[in-house]
Amino acid sequence: MKILALICIVALAGGCTSVSPGGYYWGKYSYTYHDLIKEPSDMTTAAHKETLRDIIAISAEKNLRVPPGIHAELGNLLASSNQMNEALAEYEAEMALYPESKVFLEKLISGQSQGSQDQ
Amino acid sequence: MKKIVGLLVAFVFFASGCAEIETKQQAYPKMYSETEKPVSILVVPAINKSTAADAADLINSTLTIPFADNGYYVLPISIVSDIFKRDGIIEGSQIAGLPASVFKTNFGVDSVLYITINKWDTNYIVIAANVTVGMSYVLVSATTNEVLWSYDQQIVVDTAGDSTGFILADIVKTAVATALTDYIPIARQVNAAAVSTLPYGNYHPLVGTDGEMKVVLKASKEKALNQTE
Repeated sequence: MKILALICIVALAGGCTSVSPGGYYWGKYSYTYHDLIKEPSDMTTAAHKETLRDIIAISAEKNLRVPPGIHAELGNLLASSNQMNEALAEYEAEMALYPESKVFLEKLISGQSQGSQDQ
Repeated sequence: MKKIVGLLVAFVFFASGCAEIETKQQAYPKMYSETEKPVSILVVPAINKSTAADAADLINSTLTIPFADNGYYVLPISIVSDIFKRDGIIEGSQIAGLPASVFKTNFGVDSVLYITINKWDTNYIVIAANVTVGMSYVLVSATTNEVLWSYDQQIVVDTAGDSTGFILADIVKTAVATALTDYIPIARQVNAAAVSTLPYGNYHPLVGTDGEMKVVLKASKEKALNQTE
């Protein structure tokens, strides 16, 4: 009985700790973003991209709203490696979740698609 | 008895005179107005008054989570800071004179967050040492250019640890511990303490219910406004 209670507590704590007070799952966001600022490289970029994908996947799994900016940030990283179609899908997802991002992202998209045509 | 009365008077004096505390609604009435409450926040590059050159950049990695968790849409800081950098703006004082409404057209936001890093440093006092992170936050409406929320927060972390009983060993131990102290977790604590006074935003499940929370130190609210001037 005691063991069962312990298992329940551990399971509960494990399940709850990863969701923030605002109801979001942030994964390793602040760590990989901090590394990316401190030492921008292919490696830190890849690590941050993985964090963003992880946040999107786990949020879907836990039925949580993806936190503000995550889809857009992933879109921006994809755009900078010239994956414009994948980038657009992420930007669309951000605008659907957060209509407040529309003005900003539409400007960003028009700048980036122009940039990729110039190349 | 006299002693108790004296103590009581001192306590009342202390409570009312030294630390005036307001409710969120009293301190930030505009944040409870249907028409003025912002949904989205643009975080512009921080003004760095500290001696650490990289503090303004590093602080960016700590800001999205507390403000988003409090119920606001924070424009992706990584993208925004790149845009500012491309335009040659790397430090907040370069845009300090601009009205917040300038950002409304370009970013489509309804508020702008100005951050000043006042302290990001280490103090050595012979064998003792501490690391201090202090920041001011001012949230301004991009529609009316009026201040919606402001707060000043500082946290000092003692890095000296326990004495070994030998002064020289203590000095070395303290110096090592202090040099290894990471500012980022302290900055996160500073953010969390400041944001606890920010009224919940529209994406927070408890939006509109926190007006009576008595958590705003009036002096800290006013200090933030003086820092950015």
